[in-house]
Amino acid sequence: MTDTTQQQVFDIIAKQAKLDVATIKPESTLKDLGIESLEAIEVIFDIEEHFNITFPDQQGANFDTDTTQSLVDAVQKALDEKAAAGEGSK
Amino acid sequence: MPTVPQMRRVVITGMGAISPLGVGAEALWQGLREGRSAIGPLRHPDAHRLRVKVAAQVPDSFDPAANIEERTLIMLDRTSEFALHAAREAITQSGLDFSQNELGVRTAVVVGTGVGGEHTQDEQSKRLYGENSPRAHPLTIVRVMTNASASQISIAYGLRGPTFAVASACASANHAIIQAAQLIRYGMADVAVTGGTEACLTYGALRAWEAMRVLADDTCRPFSINRRGLVLGEGAGIFVLELLEHAQARGAVILAEVAGVGMTADATDIVMPNATGAAAAMSQAMADAGLSPEDVDYINAHGTGTQANDSTETRAIRLAFGTHADRLAVSSTKSMHGHALGASGALELVAVVGALRDSAVPPTANLDEVDPACDLDYVPNVGRDMPVRAALSNSFAFGGLNAVLALKRAP
Repeated sequence: MTDTTQQQVFDIIAKQAKLDVATIKPESTLKDLGIESLEAIEVIFDIEEHFNITFPDQQGANFDTDTTQSLVDAVQKALDEKAAAGEGSK
Repeated sequence: MPTVPQMRRVVITGMGAISPLGVGAEALWQGLREGRSAIGPLRHPDAHRLRVKVAAQVPDSFDPAANIEERTLIMLDRTSEFALHAAREAITQSGLDFSQNELGVRTAVVVGTGVGGEHTQDEQSKRLYGENSPRAHPLTIVRVMTNASASQISIAYGLRGPTFAVASACASANHAIIQAAQLIRYGMADVAVTGGTEACLTYGALRAWEAMRVLADDTCRPFSINRRGLVLGEGAGIFVLELLEHAQARGAVILAEVAGVGMTADATDIVMPNATGAAAAMSQAMADAGLSPEDVDYINAHGTGTQANDSTETRAIRLAFGTHADRLAVSSTKSMHGHALGASGALELVAVVGALRDSAVPPTANLDEVDPACDLDYVPNVGRDMPVRAALSNSFAFGGLNAVLALKRAP
């Protein structure tokens, strides 16, 4: 299941960065992949739309310096919370 | 700035404000001087479903209908209500009568706003898309248009000189005030009513800001290492600018002199600020005013409370001021009145005029943890009584646009 989430997240990142998905490693940051500033915010938006989740606001919006693995973990956490809330309506 | 003969000097003879600190320029200035923050829980019908938690909002005690005829009132978006009320205060203080000696013909109106009639736009969109109404309100266009505030002030007072709006996001007010000052300097007007106004705390706009992930969820903490972003505000600041000789000839009380202006663009990123562009605007404003860095005592910073702005602005001040940077008092009053976007430079000019007039610098509120990347004297949390001979007021906008005013004490 986690692999599937990771694959979907990596596909979204690959599309934004116009990269071969195979070049994305769990330890890469968005910044390493050339995704900074507004582009990073766009990736977050694409992920939220794709999974129908909302990330909490992070201090200083540091998504571009976090690793892709931490993004995948954040998605998984949000999905788990949504499942626990029992088909949450928001 | 091209050098022009500086025989026509521009002074401020009236100011008015509607702000989160209340109705009137004095309410704003006294609140800022005392370090009172007007940031609080967001008051909005949709607050329960928004992630935005805090804002700096004009208090409900503001009565848009006070002293405004109903046939005018129905034409006004909240943006123009703020502007018209602030303009009345400024014009009353100036003591000018525009019907005398054809003064209205020699008077310009230049008002900055980031987005214009956002409340009207939001209401009508909801009606059309949300409620499937087949028709929009017939006054939608006259309320929405970005020049509505400038035009309503012109009509209310019979001001027939150059009249227009200026839009440059968060630098709109400063860009507008600069245009107004230049009109007087170049002889195209003797008086100008100018400033900025914004009222964009709508559901749609708040959602858009949420998506950018630059809003603080606690409060606005400029230059503090624990800063978490900006806090949106609203309001208007309007000023009467006047040719120095014109003001002196009628014995007007002069509040301060608009001595110099600086405008640059970063030409780098649409949102990330750039120290070089900001520093160049500050240096231009000083040169235009005939000021050396050592002549300046205070800077009202752009100071939004975002990670990027505050450290970049600190570097920019060091670039423009060299060693004198360590002797400056620098404060961000956005920590108290929030970020009123297209009105922010105007609310901040009220603070700068107050500082020059009363020899008192307002503090940066909520500055409780030093950031090594922000190493200037930000007047933390408590205002300071000190002589202010000259001051800069910085505004830097998304889009990489910088507009800086240099002010001196009343001559």
